[in-house]
Amino acid sequence: MLLGFSLSPFGHHPAAWREGASLEELSFEGLLSRLRRAEDAGFDFALLGDLLGMRPQDALSSTATPFEPTTLVAALATRLHRIGLLAAAATFQHEPYNLARRFASLDQISQGRGGWLAIPSVGEPAREREYIELVSGLWDSFEDDAFIYDKANARFFEPGKMHVLDHRGEYFSVRGPLNVNRSPQGRPVIALLLTKENYDLAAEFGDVILLSETSEERTVEVVREFETSLKTVGRRRDDVRLLSNVVPFVAATRDMAQVQHDSLQSMDRAELPGLVSIGNPTEVAHTIERWRVATEIDGFTILPPTLSAAEAFKADVVSELRRRGLLKPRSGETLRLNLGLKHPPHPAAKEQRIS
Amino acid sequence: MAGGHHISAWRHLDAYARAGVNIAHFIELARIAERGKFDMVFVEDAAAIRERNPDMASQAARSTGFEPLSLLAALAVNTSRVGLVATASTTYNEPYGLARTFASLDQLSGGRAGWNLVTSASELEAANFANSGLRPHSERYERAEEFANAALALWDSVDEGAHLPPSGTSFSDRSKLHPLAHCGKHFTVEGVLESQRSPQGRPVMVQAGASDVGKELAARTADVVFAASQTLDEAKVYYDDVKSRLAKYGRKPDDIKIMPGISPIIGSTEAEAKAKYRELQELIPDAVGIALLASYLSIQDLSSYPLDGPLPDMPQTNLMQSRQQLIIDLGRREKLSIRELARHFAGARGHWQIVGTPAQIADAMEERFTNGAADGFNVMAPLFPSGLEDFVTHVVPELRHRGLFREDYEGRTLRDNLGVGTPTKSWE
Repeated sequence: MLLGFSLSPFGHHPAAWREGASLEELSFEGLLSRLRRAEDAGFDFALLGDLLGMRPQDALSSTATPFEPTTLVAALATRLHRIGLLAAAATFQHEPYNLARRFASLDQISQGRGGWLAIPSVGEPAREREYIELVSGLWDSFEDDAFIYDKANARFFEPGKMHVLDHRGEYFSVRGPLNVNRSPQGRPVIALLLTKENYDLAAEFGDVILLSETSEERTVEVVREFETSLKTVGRRRDDVRLLSNVVPFVAATRDMAQVQHDSLQSMDRAELPGLVSIGNPTEVAHTIERWRVATEIDGFTILPPTLSAAEAFKADVVSELRRRGLLKPRSGETLRLNLGLKHPPHPAAKEQRIS
Repeated sequence: MAGGHHISAWRHLDAYARAGVNIAHFIELARIAERGKFDMVFVEDAAAIRERNPDMASQAARSTGFEPLSLLAALAVNTSRVGLVATASTTYNEPYGLARTFASLDQLSGGRAGWNLVTSASELEAANFANSGLRPHSERYERAEEFANAALALWDSVDEGAHLPPSGTSFSDRSKLHPLAHCGKHFTVEGVLESQRSPQGRPVMVQAGASDVGKELAARTADVVFAASQTLDEAKVYYDDVKSRLAKYGRKPDDIKIMPGISPIIGSTEAEAKAKYRELQELIPDAVGIALLASYLSIQDLSSYPLDGPLPDMPQTNLMQSRQQLIIDLGRREKLSIRELARHFAGARGHWQIVGTPAQIADAMEERFTNGAADGFNVMAPLFPSGLEDFVTHVVPELRHRGLFREDYEGRTLRDNLGVGTPTKSWE
């Protein structure tokens, strides 16, 4: 099963900062040290969310890092060497060319460990479809073997293996090509948070689909509904990875975990963005195993409510999951391969094979 | 550029052809610059491939590479003192997103970030963001002006100590937040920046505008101005012109540092330097040089003119007016044919090239510095890493010996090292 780690400076609970927070936690080194421990624990990817593209008006958020996610990921990529790095970016805050280019560049810096958590705008499905298709098209500007670096013949790449997109759509008009080399993993991974509005978009373009249902029953239903959407667009269940959000209140004993939960909720009653588990490491691991079996999900994104829960999860829950044989060893150099997804063939190479 | 600033550096035997997307290579370069106590590393940019013709594009290493802001973020956490400056366009970005990205870069680097503001003149960039086509020069500058104001106000929207105030009753101290309510002709920007305050007050503002309206924007907002000039006289005229515009914005001449580009080709003897230069020049394919010249002159095609004849008369264009004039002047002054001008120009693309020994290069830099034509230089080594290594090992000590260059960094931030101070907050 796959494991993602969602980064937040003090924890994902809005009251987490009240438990002895220090400014160090907001710094790059503070954030890095937490992800390094996630990497060592064997997490497949780190997720750097954003406030769904919302801008603070008169208060700062304690659950968001004070960095623009793609900029932070570029820095993290040089200091972490195995973990995948998914960064959120909203389609209504970036020109498609700039966004495609930023993520292509991150994928070069991380040597194929990058991914885009697409935050689409609501109520404009046609625009969003065009946007993501256009970004994918820009990522196909060069074929996998386009770059030959032939010094003697002054040929940096084979011109026939560069593809000028020349996109003219209803919403965007972008010539291309992208001025970044082909990604080491073909294309950066695309992730989407599944919402009522975006089943079709997620089914068509998503590699990783994140679910934030708060009950096991609802998760089972959503997985089933999404499988229908996948069929409609002609994709197989195995072409995507579905991961549920989990908010684990984990401490040495079940009572301590319950106290932590109750105390945070009494300070700031929050609707938690995923399945909630409260218990000691063995209990939390057990619950996760049960969810895994019941929902047929591919893995979980962990949103620790506090820093102490994060550390307890990385150290104790992960080793319990491993003891149960639920975690697989890292299987590939790139994020895509490590998720068990295929390196996407370039459209031109695909055409050649057919003809 | 990854392999070196010379257009054909990547073909050199010593060049690492894959350098463009090799982060370890760029970290090495930034660390060499830091060892030499350079003020800053600068990454130029265009948000497009630079050649329309795929055959031409495929012969140039600069067709692809890292996106500058992600590159600098990666460099920020692998260096500790050198400034990090990237080009970003006001025409193809939005103020909130770009201001936030530079604020993040400034946090990551501990106050070493700078933004080279450009308005993007190329048709190929416009085609990647088009429904409207390339906007006229004046409209681009009008947007740039509003963009810069919004970015400055966003950087000033969060004070020191806004996060986690000692009172402990709320996560942010609202008295230290100054939300924007900007509603202008080009943008609506509201709220505060999701960032901590810059360790240097604000990222350093850089510009290279050489048109009249560009120089005016620089005089009002820039801390550093990049320039391209061939001769001492040209450089001096430009220098005096920019500095003379500062007073009307209540600024002193020293508030802006003017840094012309220099492409030094260094040899232990003059003959060795010349041989190095020839070796690089011979790597330029004719077609590449001529296409590059045509693109800087903003004309579709030069190949219909006899290549061994002089440059034809050119119409003024809406695009890069200043660079165009510089090339025309160079061709006339040195009586160069199109082919010669193309090759001469292609190497350093209009920047001041100097071929010689460390002492000769230091002499030339000293001459411009002491005659009021430059406050510093943007060194564009033709070949990486050797050209930069040579400069740090041989020219820097020569400049130090003459008392022209620092022994060590003056401070922790880019503003400290440039000596440009922290500007007053825009809402004060």
